[in-house]
Amino acid sequence: MLSRIARNIYELGQQIERAENIARVLDVNRRMSLEQGYFTELDVWSPMLAITHAREAFDAKHDSVTRRRVMAFLISDTSHPYSIRSCLNHAREMARTVREHISEEMWLSLNKMYHVITGRTDNSQAFLDEVRQFCNAFHGLVDNTMSHGETWQFLRLGVALERAFMTSRILEIKYHLLLPSPEEVGKPLDLHQWQALLRSVSGYEAYRRQYKARIDPTKVLRLLSLDPRFPRSLHFSIRQIADALKGIGTANETQYDLLMETESFLDDLRGGAARDELRSMLLKDYLESVQQRCEHISGLINEAFFNSVTVTVTDAHKGLLTMQIPQQQQ
Amino acid sequence: MERLKTEAIFSASGAAAYDEAFEASGKGRSLYGPAFEHFQGLGPDGIESLQHSADLSMLNQGVTFTVYSDARGTEKIFPFDLMPRILTDPEWSVIEAGVAQRMTALNLFLEDIYHDQKIMKDGIVPSSQVMKSTLFCREMTGLNPPGGQHVHIGGIDLIRNESGAFHVLEDNLRVPSGVSYVIENRWVMGRVQPELLNQYKVRPVDHYPQMLFESLASLSASDNPTVAVLTPGIFNSAYFEHSFLANQMGAELVEGQDLLVDRDVLYMKTTRGLQRVDVLYLRMDTDFLDPLVFRPDSILGVPGLMNAYRAGNVALANAPGNGVADDKAMYAYTPEVIRYYLDEDPILPIVPTYLGARDTDLKYMLEHMTEIVIKPTDASGGYGILVGSQASKREIGEFRAMLAANPAHYIAQPIQQLSTHPTWVEQQDGGKGFFPRHVDLRPYAVCDVDGRVRVLPGGLTRVALRQGSLVVNSSQGGGSKDTWVLYPESPGAADA
Repeated sequence: MLSRIARNIYELGQQIERAENIARVLDVNRRMSLEQGYFTELDVWSPMLAITHAREAFDAKHDSVTRRRVMAFLISDTSHPYSIRSCLNHAREMARTVREHISEEMWLSLNKMYHVITGRTDNSQAFLDEVRQFCNAFHGLVDNTMSHGETWQFLRLGVALERAFMTSRILEIKYHLLLPSPEEVGKPLDLHQWQALLRSVSGYEAYRRQYKARIDPTKVLRLLSLDPRFPRSLHFSIRQIADALKGIGTANETQYDLLMETESFLDDLRGGAARDELRSMLLKDYLESVQQRCEHISGLINEAFFNSVTVTVTDAHKGLLTMQIPQQQQ
Repeated sequence: MERLKTEAIFSASGAAAYDEAFEASGKGRSLYGPAFEHFQGLGPDGIESLQHSADLSMLNQGVTFTVYSDARGTEKIFPFDLMPRILTDPEWSVIEAGVAQRMTALNLFLEDIYHDQKIMKDGIVPSSQVMKSTLFCREMTGLNPPGGQHVHIGGIDLIRNESGAFHVLEDNLRVPSGVSYVIENRWVMGRVQPELLNQYKVRPVDHYPQMLFESLASLSASDNPTVAVLTPGIFNSAYFEHSFLANQMGAELVEGQDLLVDRDVLYMKTTRGLQRVDVLYLRMDTDFLDPLVFRPDSILGVPGLMNAYRAGNVALANAPGNGVADDKAMYAYTPEVIRYYLDEDPILPIVPTYLGARDTDLKYMLEHMTEIVIKPTDASGGYGILVGSQASKREIGEFRAMLAANPAHYIAQPIQQLSTHPTWVEQQDGGKGFFPRHVDLRPYAVCDVDGRVRVLPGGLTRVALRQGSLVVNSSQGGGSKDTWVLYPESPGAADA
């Protein structure tokens, strides 16, 4: 498969996943902010910008953080790449370049959604619901209407890596930035926060079934990072990445390194290593190390599949010069 | 066919001197009898509803093109007309032989001018015509393409004038487009009007991708060559066609950024590393092909591609530099070119052509501007031409100035009465029916490494949807018709 095609498919998966995450996190936040009376002193909107990596772009446009501004910024502002609308536009653009590789149903569904969002400007609850429904329906089409070959694996790779990033970032920011002091832990505000955090990753129900209604921070962390069955846990996402890489196969050294790296990350999550780490390290440090590992994998994917070309060119003195051909980033 | 019977939805008013479906008396041609009956039976409502479903299936299939003058780059469908254009076997045999003859002669011409230039030494074509052409490609001189063939894919535009005989209007030897519509039109026709298609014995066109693939593959010495289609990208007006052909041939659709040349070998970058490319079907202008050789600012091309080509490590189709042979001024010399190389008379005549480069012709052009069509020698797609009879005073004034400033850049031809064909249109008063509209025909041919030319039995019939308009280009508001070439009538007759 052409590297460009593989990268575009990977980005298609990534953008759809990102759009859904933004929609879900915004939705939870909105519900939380309805109880503003209780948390008047709390700024629940700044973390949104941090989770989506959009703080800088936001500050360049606005001088203060308000609910309305953040909502508009993250839903419909296409002047930066972090809004739902930008993600879906980008996803459609990617899909257009790989139409022969994806199923007709996927294209039709995405194209229809694109026309829906192009014609609208509202940032309502209904719109967020619609986006979430679309993204999940799209994943259904991906799994059910295209053959599970190389193309599908690259799409899955994009989805899983984005999901791992999002889960770790949500954990980091929702928890750590909001509650810097240890004595806050366990207070009503804190419990409320944990509940919101679980909702942000569609994990509230899963948690209740597994651990009952009593919210214990350690258990929340365990669910979101170590649980092998919860579809948004780190463990689950990293396993998806490893499976996708195995499906694609390894044709060179870098690809082999990438698979090994992923496998060892998975081993740590599966075995006791991560649990020990969780206990001994500060949460902040643990999450930082997780994100570094994700970044590392992301870099290796880029190098191994999309950007791997190392060419030898004969220079003027007939000596060999090795150079990397960088691919255009979009 | 009685005249009265067809009058309800068919009108011959405004028909050209030669109409494809009506005789001069206004009587329907017997060839079209079953078609008349078919549409008569459907009635206006039935036709409308079929038209609607045909348009819809084109749109859903994404059979679209982009119009450059439209700033939003909107995708549009190429309007498709339900009434097929029908050609009998005897009519087709002439076209087929004529197209093959031209392709062969022009291939010999190109090989000659990029090597020995005998035709110029013998004074058949003036050196200035070839060497001064902006389309002459210095980089091709002395280069030996596989089999000495330069034109692997050609599209020859034909028109039928008042005599009913087909004339060549122009040759397209660089990147002729539109063949995907030929195949899609037939597919839609089979879907919406299977009964009509069934009443005629129509030769199929859907094997074109195989024909193309065989010709391309023949250019490589390898048994199982890797063929790729090079596209400028999704914003190109013909992107649909690029992806259609690549898909149908099972070839990879590549952009410049997917390719690289290492030590004179062309590779594409895949997830498993570099994969060698043996044959590249070019769907972009030569200018953008290789920034080391042509336009240095091109980001669409592949640095080093021409070196790989020159080294014989990759075949390019069509070869760069073909423009010099389909230049509109060169066209005037094509009958002589055919006689010179093949010692045969041209099977298809050309339209009389005045060259701005010749003083006597220029004088005639300036004096008869309202009676002629003036075209720049190197443009295509119907951009920048002047139809004298339909131009405003201001437009004529502008062209006069341009012509005087750079006469060699223009040619002129008497305004051709293109034949007309009944086409489903809405009149200004809102009434709908089949009215005569001007049509042309572009058959497609492929040529393999041994110079064997195969012409696809069919072609793109383009129709000018505006009443009286003679410009049929899709970019100028034209539509298309499915073109049916019938099998020979007598059983056992040879089918080429």
